[in-house]
Amino acid sequence: MLFQNAPAATTNYMIAGYVVIFGGLALYLISLAVRRNNLKQDLDVLTNEQGTSDAPDQKS
Amino acid sequence: MQAKPRLLTILDIVCVILMIIATGMVFLYAPEEAVMGNVQRVFYFHVSAAWVGMISFLVAAVAGIAYLRTARMKWDIVGLASVEIGMVFSFIAVVMGSIWARPIWNTWWTWDPRLTTVTIMLLVYAAYLMLRAGIDDPDRRARFGAVYTILGFLSVPLTFFSARLFRTIHPVVIGTNQPGSEGAFDMTPRMLQTFLFSLFVFTILYADLLWHRIRLGELANKVEQLKMKVMS
Repeated sequence: MLFQNAPAATTNYMIAGYVVIFGGLALYLISLAVRRNNLKQDLDVLTNEQGTSDAPDQKS
Repeated sequence: MQAKPRLLTILDIVCVILMIIATGMVFLYAPEEAVMGNVQRVFYFHVSAAWVGMISFLVAAVAGIAYLRTARMKWDIVGLASVEIGMVFSFIAVVMGSIWARPIWNTWWTWDPRLTTVTIMLLVYAAYLMLRAGIDDPDRRARFGAVYTILGFLSVPLTFFSARLFRTIHPVVIGTNQPGSEGAFDMTPRMLQTFLFSLFVFTILYADLLWHRIRLGELANKVEQLKMKVMS
């Protein structure tokens, strides 16, 4: 960069940097949403299961 | 299951608006750096991401102390949430820094003191996530997590001060650069305003993500308790 009279042409690197931050954030948000949905499903299944086991025995 | 609080929805919207403004400032308001060119704009979000990484680990250590004092599970949830967010932002900061380094240092990576200490910090917290996943008993896991986040936090000041204490090519924002640092620059007022605003926006973003991640942790806790109840 000695005797340089114009800024270096580094726009591609800047774009790559911002793809990383926005891509990374988007992936993290998606991972939060996916995990939340999975946990909600697990909670529904477990609540039903608990309801079934807590119910009085129908045969007696 | 608790409905999403109204305040959290407002915080989500505020975060999106602030991120748009910060991005606009980075690309439209801050001037192009005279020597490095446009890649210098990576600096604003790179430092902000690294900042969020470090405050996340600080919050996790404080949550660890709070858990050891009170034995309340909510502090374990806060600690785990904060470490996870810290890992995401620290990793993003490292990758962004590597992209900046390619045209400025002429290499993607070098075992410079700052880069070495940040790698150690990331490995310390990656080990935390892996080790706690291997402990089944919730109380033991929380106790282990609390002690680990307190001890693991030692790697954070080591990383922060490495660029000031050791001979390094990594530039510093606050303080005097080492004689061999490459890529340092003087900030114009517009650059400084953009930088400070980015730090502020990322701090708000951290609070928003932490809240979401804590809610997820509470849900996971509820599912785990129910699983144990059904299985017993």
